[in-house]
Amino acid sequence: MAEAQRPVELILARSLIDTLSTPGFLVDEEGIVVFFNDAASVLLGVRFEEVGRMGPERWSTEFGPFDEAGERVPPEDLPLTIALRHGRPSTARFRIHSLKGTEHEIEAAAVPIMTVGGTSGAMVFFWTLEES
Amino acid sequence: MRVKVWGARGSVPAPGPETVRYGGNTSCVEITLSDGTLLALDAGTGIRSMGLALGERGRRINILLTHLHMDHIQGLMFFAPAFNPTAEMVIWGPEAADASLRDRIARYISAPLSPVEVRELPCNVSFNEAPHSEWRIGSATVRAASVTHRGPTLGYRVTEGDVSLCYIPDHEPALGANLERDDPEWISGFNLAQGATVLLHDGQYTSAEYPSRTGWGHSKLSDALAFARRVETERLVVFHHDPLHSDDMLDALQGSAMERWAELGGEPTGLEFAAERRELVIDRAPR
Repeated sequence: MAEAQRPVELILARSLIDTLSTPGFLVDEEGIVVFFNDAASVLLGVRFEEVGRMGPERWSTEFGPFDEAGERVPPEDLPLTIALRHGRPSTARFRIHSLKGTEHEIEAAAVPIMTVGGTSGAMVFFWTLEES
Repeated sequence: MRVKVWGARGSVPAPGPETVRYGGNTSCVEITLSDGTLLALDAGTGIRSMGLALGERGRRINILLTHLHMDHIQGLMFFAPAFNPTAEMVIWGPEAADASLRDRIARYISAPLSPVEVRELPCNVSFNEAPHSEWRIGSATVRAASVTHRGPTLGYRVTEGDVSLCYIPDHEPALGANLERDDPEWISGFNLAQGATVLLHDGQYTSAEYPSRTGWGHSKLSDALAFARRVETERLVVFHHDPLHSDDMLDALQGSAMERWAELGGEPTGLEFAAERRELVIDRAPR
């Protein structure tokens, strides 16, 4: 059964992210990852088409993020959460695991997608700082 | 539901001997519901002729604006009911972050672009941002949805009984999307147009023109056909003709579109190009 129609702002954001070589993610207003691009799939070790949309719990279980001590970063401290809850851009550094066993230190920037009706989602971009 | 096209041209009026059959007036479509309720879809220059033809029927009218580009509002200042003190005019349109619908329309109906201010219009006029959920106008339900175009832009679906007209005159759903393969949730306007009895849809550009106009918010003809087939409308009426496209050119485009339409599995009676003064009666068997 078809999903409900996405807001046009998310449709356009998905198109933008799909064309970028910067790792990018699109998240809906409930924090579900509804798309990530090929550049992000290199970091994660898996293509979006293989995993489909992911809620925060599944994302956290499979990829992290973790702080320098290896502890999970609390959801409320993540740029994505701040962007969605407070409607403002946010950045942070943390580490993620890929499904291929590699670990990346990244800087993430989340930008809320604001419309006249409120926040309809967010775009999140990753910059790799270190790979191990 | 009775429908009459008063303007099918896009971007700018294109009067002249080259455009007499399809017409040179910009977007305006009249709908008369079964209970007599009158609607106008957009207020391009076509609404001027519509207003002159309405007579007493123009005493109460709902105008549904898709967006506020000039080719969709220019006729408002020349719409006879607007200057009738006994007429009531209800204008619907997209909401925007910067100003109310009334204030945004007033940028046109005010100096130096106009000799008359909105507050001076003799009719009883009101402005409403289109709701996010369905609402009723007369015997129809109306739904609006944001669609891919430049700036806040709506498409409308007017449903009466088991027939519906979907109107998306300015729309570029193929921008960054694959209309044949992408999931419907990622195709702009899909839900709005799905299964509509009649779809009036942007088909402004040829395939040769589109590459230099990508992102301007309009569709090439082949994308309009693909969108219409994907949403399984019963009839596509290609709308928003480019001002550079003469009658002869539109005839030729219609011929090639018919071939493509058939390749996509469409019925021959399910495709036409909008022409000024064209009337449709929409029931279960459009004719």
